Amino acid sequence: MPLFGKSQKSPADVVRALKESVNALERGGEKKAEKAQEDVSKNLVLIKNMLYGTSDAEPQTDIIVAQLAQELYNSNLLLLLIQNLSKIDFEGKKDVAQVFNNILRRQIGTRSPTVEYICTKPEILFQLMAGYETQEIALNCGTMLRECARYEALAKIMLNSEDFYNFFTYVEVSTFDIASDAFSTFKELLTRHKILCAEFLETNYEKVFSHYQRLLNSENYVTRRQSLKLLGELLLDRHNFTVMTRYISNPDNLKLMMNMLKERSRNIQFEAFHVFKVFVANPNKPKPILDILLRNQEKLVEFLMKFHTDRAEDEQFNDEKAYLIRQIQELRPVPGH
Amino acid sequence: MVKVGHFRKEETFTLEPTDQVIFENSRFLSTLVVGKKKTQADILPSGSPGIFRQKSTSSDYLSLGDYARAARNSLGNIGNVLSRKMAASTVQTSIPWPNSKDDYELGKVIGVGATAVVHEALCKPRNEKCAIKRINLEKWNTSMDELLKEIQAMSSCNHENVVTYHTSFVVREELWLVLRLLEGGSLLDIIKHKMRTANCRNGVFDEPVIATVLREVLKGLEYFHNNGQIHRDIKAGNILLGEDGTVQIADFGVSAWLATGRDLSRQKMRHTFVGTPCWMAPEVMEQDHGYDFKADIWSFGITAIEMATGTAPYHKYPPMKVLMLTLQNDPPNLDTGAEEKDQFKVYGKTFRKMIVDCLQKEPNKRPSASELLKHPFFKKAKDKKYLQQTLVAIGPSLETRVQKASKRQPGASGRLHRKETGEWVWSSEDEGDDGGESDTDTESRPLNIISAGSDSEHEESSESDTPPVNLVLRMRNSKKELNDIRFEFAVGKDSADGIASELVGAGLVDSRDMAAITNNLQKLVESRENLKVVTFPLNSGVNNNETPDDKALIGFAQISITD
Repeated sequence: MPLFGKSQKSPADVVRALKESVNALERGGEKKAEKAQEDVSKNLVLIKNMLYGTSDAEPQTDIIVAQLAQELYNSNLLLLLIQNLSKIDFEGKKDVAQVFNNILRRQIGTRSPTVEYICTKPEILFQLMAGYETQEIALNCGTMLRECARYEALAKIMLNSEDFYNFFTYVEVSTFDIASDAFSTFKELLTRHKILCAEFLETNYEKVFSHYQRLLNSENYVTRRQSLKLLGELLLDRHNFTVMTRYISNPDNLKLMMNMLKERSRNIQFEAFHVFKVFVANPNKPKPILDILLRNQEKLVEFLMKFHTDRAEDEQFNDEKAYLIRQIQELRPVPGH
Repeated sequence: MVKVGHFRKEETFTLEPTDQVIFENSRFLSTLVVGKKKTQADILPSGSPGIFRQKSTSSDYLSLGDYARAARNSLGNIGNVLSRKMAASTVQTSIPWPNSKDDYELGKVIGVGATAVVHEALCKPRNEKCAIKRINLEKWNTSMDELLKEIQAMSSCNHENVVTYHTSFVVREELWLVLRLLEGGSLLDIIKHKMRTANCRNGVFDEPVIATVLREVLKGLEYFHNNGQIHRDIKAGNILLGEDGTVQIADFGVSAWLATGRDLSRQKMRHTFVGTPCWMAPEVMEQDHGYDFKADIWSFGITAIEMATGTAPYHKYPPMKVLMLTLQNDPPNLDTGAEEKDQFKVYGKTFRKMIVDCLQKEPNKRPSASELLKHPFFKKAKDKKYLQQTLVAIGPSLETRVQKASKRQPGASGRLHRKETGEWVWSSEDEGDDGGESDTDTESRPLNIISAGSDSEHEESSESDTPPVNLVLRMRNSKKELNDIRFEFAVGKDSADGIASELVGAGLVDSRDMAAITNNLQKLVESRENLKVVTFPLNSGVNNNETPDDKALIGFAQISITD
């Protein structure tokens, strides 16, 4: 077997062996499970080395990798591995993510065969999203999910599924690293593919922003700060123009931002400023918005004059602040009202 | 139209790319330093008998005062921790680490950084102690993604030689990281302690100790690097020891963000560095191109020098000078920081060769961690039990040990505490002369440390508005061993003759020398603006076979101001 050296197995052999051991792991049983776990880890390393190579060996040729990928699709092993991820040992979990991501990135010309495969097996994506509910696999699933989210076809499946709304819970779980990981996946899904994201937000405006409101009012400081920052980024992305226009027409949203400007946390104040400025900069302010601003005209000017004056070096911020102050000072009631 | 273009928000708080680094003088404070500290952390390193070395002005030590204060605070609780440790052996592993602040009982502060404080703590449901690092997120002005990246890096490690991460959660505006508590403190603590308590002029640790610690560090580094991670800040201050002799690399990655976690709005961070210059590889300093895990191997080589000589080679110089020296000079070696020829001659060729291998300016020429593990020098390495006996046992002492040994005769070694009532209390402690000393010490006699008063934590604030003067009296005891006796002098409250008589009363000073000490103490305190050291002859004189010598302090004593 000159191709693989003495101890090397063919992709078909390794995949078969891995599948058998994962099945054994799934069935459980005290002693057998331990042995199965060892076998799973061992075979995962073999597959990982085929894909990545080792310090002594180059990665396998494209042909072998193609065979390996084909075996993985045919055996349905990717899903099986993810379903049993929590039973695999610590290093094995990381290997699953590495193998998954490598296979996912594989291209033939402009085609991404694994992306095509997952489109036919979306349960892989749903299983990965549900991974955030299990502490010990959450971050491994997150690594794979973010790789998936890079592909528009896969991001679309996730965004358009009911499961997407679980992210509003995941980003608030108590374990910080899991919540933040979920948040970065959430953010990736909402920002990566501009046109897809804009369409999604427009179509699902009510539902998304009613959920989003909960994040902005979260008890958790990090959730509040992160979601506020993301809101600013979403609204200021020109692809989301329609969504922004809708958001800044709602007086409740303005009130929320004005309150957040006065939050105890300077960071939250600062993020709120970047959302608040959009309401003020809008040249076609709806009457309810204009009314609120007029009602608070003097106070707002006074407040902004003293707002974060120590950021002297941040030119953009100071320009924007000066612009807002001028805008608010120049506000006049619409004639005839 | 809304003027979106004008207001397009650029990442206002973008962090510097991770390979951009920032000088942070207090960096080593942000290290997760855990465990017992001696109270006099900020005093002079002991020099050769009779010679005071100037306190290093290297930037690494600038905030030592804060550190010492934190360390001081940590002293009180150690007994508790020990008794808890007993209970902790029955931990139920089935209970996961909880994410609620109420499930933890915060103990003493054991480390302070720019944006973080580290406490020892008890996890109540598990009845297990741990370290909790509280990061103030309000001061953390940078992107949360950066923070997450580093915590993920930490949680993706599961290795004996990498600090163990348990969980993390948000408490109001703070992030709490729950980590394994390493009671032995950092290798830097142990080096400093050893330098205070023994003569380390010819080397701090012997080769077997160095090889044993460094092999553990290498195993941790090998794991990092195989994981695709770079530590970026390997140094003695980031190597922690468990009570059982476990060696763990701490502040992995965390270091990178703790250093950058300052108020970016007030500080321009461009063209700056993170990392600790003395340990930083040339290619990291240059920043022209990226660097890889070989940068850790350079820092590892510097750490090897640190373990032998007690400091990094260029520790005396300010950061910019260190950069210049590192980039322009040949790589440093054991003798770079030496004050005299052959000062470190006890170290053999194999060790020196290993250091040369690590400290090659060309990163590609440095061995990988896996290759280094095969280096013949590490044949000298022993197991962790050995470290428990040699390092942990001689490390900054536990209060319980102080109490256990309290019946010892005054004058040998120990500490003089001052109670709030103002009375001096003597407690002895085992200073580690139990065979755990490095074999490089044989040439000179041990230099015992006796400390007085500097550790009672409220003293500074409650005693008087002017901070007390910290002093050290260096003289030989009846066995002719050099002793450092540390004490405070509260101006306006203490009197020179009062203190002198207390010293005599405690059996530390011969009654014949009381007058000389009173006069010279008085003189020093009065002229403390100009005068920092006085050396004076003693009335008790010398033995017949000795010649008085004011340098070697034979027949002489010396009092100096330490702050």
